[in-house]
Amino acid sequence: MKEYILSGPLTPAFLEFLRSFGTVKEYPHMKRPFFSFEQEDFISVKGFAGDTSVEVRYRKEFSDLTSDYFHLLLFYGSKGEGGIRKMHEIEESIREKMRIRRPR
Amino acid sequence: MAAGTGSPSLIYLNNAATTWPKPQEVLDEVARCLQTPFFEHGRSTAGSAVDYPAEAREALAAFFHAEEPDHFIFTQNATDSLNMLIHGFAKNRKAPFHAITTELEHNSVLRPLHALEAQGALSLTTVPFHDSRVTLQGIEEAMLPETRLVVMTHGSNVLGSLQHIRPIAEYCSANDIFLIVDGAQTAGQVPVNFTEIPAGAFVFTGHKALFGLPGTGGFYLQDPVEVASTRQGGTGTESRNLVHPQDMPWKFEAGTPNYPGIASLLAGIRYIGREGQDAVTGKCRGLTSRFIGELTGDPDIILYNPAADLPVVSFNIRGMDNDQVGYILAKAYGIITRTGLHCAPLVHDRIDGGKGCVRVSFSSLSDPEDCLTAARAVREVAAGADPQIRPE
Repeated sequence: MKEYILSGPLTPAFLEFLRSFGTVKEYPHMKRPFFSFEQEDFISVKGFAGDTSVEVRYRKEFSDLTSDYFHLLLFYGSKGEGGIRKMHEIEESIREKMRIRRPR
Repeated sequence: MAAGTGSPSLIYLNNAATTWPKPQEVLDEVARCLQTPFFEHGRSTAGSAVDYPAEAREALAAFFHAEEPDHFIFTQNATDSLNMLIHGFAKNRKAPFHAITTELEHNSVLRPLHALEAQGALSLTTVPFHDSRVTLQGIEEAMLPETRLVVMTHGSNVLGSLQHIRPIAEYCSANDIFLIVDGAQTAGQVPVNFTEIPAGAFVFTGHKALFGLPGTGGFYLQDPVEVASTRQGGTGTESRNLVHPQDMPWKFEAGTPNYPGIASLLAGIRYIGREGQDAVTGKCRGLTSRFIGELTGDPDIILYNPAADLPVVSFNIRGMDNDQVGYILAKAYGIITRTGLHCAPLVHDRIDGGKGCVRVSFSSLSDPEDCLTAARAVREVAAGADPQIRPE
């Protein structure tokens, strides 16, 4: 588990981008509106709307494959459709390595 | 206490893991212990210093109404104690035997038993709980002619339920079954009288309700012959003899003791003795009842044992993962809890489909106002727990 301090809060557009890769849940009615993102086997992200810190968790068994994944999401999150395509390629490449690693 | 600049004030409600804060006299005794050379007979000639291991054994014997102070063994924690007892008991058996445990157990019980089962040293039956308790009937029904060992908790670290251990201990004693009682959640929390619980061994931890430092714990062993020692080393006695002593307490203690830890345990026991065990128990029950009362009736909050005997309250909020709830309580409200499976996987398989839950746990030093603040926070989170999950 890591806590990241960002240069700015995650935007609604970025949460929309994350929807392409997993499940985004938003809780706007909380005292502090909260969001979470879950991409199975990859990462889970949670934080409060408007905050610059988020908590990111990785699956321990695949952490060496996914430790840069959040950085990649942040980078490609502003690249539009091209960024989504590229992240899907990266995701598939990592999943292939996960498949090889998993016991048969 | 503020957790940091811009953060809400800290409310610590994870005392079932380890208690915080500690009584001032515990902190003072540890500081005092560190200001003079450590002394223990056989290991030092600093005769004017306090022999903390000896004094702590006497204090434990008085606290638990035990006959033999030297039958108290100091360990690193309850897990260390349970491993020594379970593996030591198995080592003494000449043939595989049958053991009984329960669905309420912590991994410090389940994992050593599982390891021995995998090695073929024992066969294992796990007794289910009903209404948060394991009954004598359940234990009796699990008995086989080759049953030699029962290992069970005195108090659940998830459900907060106090087990009716006395009839089970009496049954095991009458049938020559060695009973190990895991008192990690009960020692210092409720009155424990060894004259009323004829168990083969009782395990305690030092850093929960006994208010000692983490890294302390121990067990009381009625008959040392039942359990083989699994470690050997220096004892400060009979150094010329390469055979490890079998006298108590040295049979199970080797190496330099954790003097500051034992000093903290001694001070914690004295603190409880001065406050009164009944008063400590009563205060915790009041906090627990108040907290549960504030949550009961909220349709979005699932309470897993609304009748908890111990200051341990486990719950979930509908529509939210328990780790999300724990995160929000910690970051937005400054409330420290524990989430997940609490090292007790079988309980969670039964109560929440194995997904885990949020656990709040008090100590007698918890502030009643914090109890109400925490309950309000949980209700607020529950009120906002309807997620918006946009379709793709």
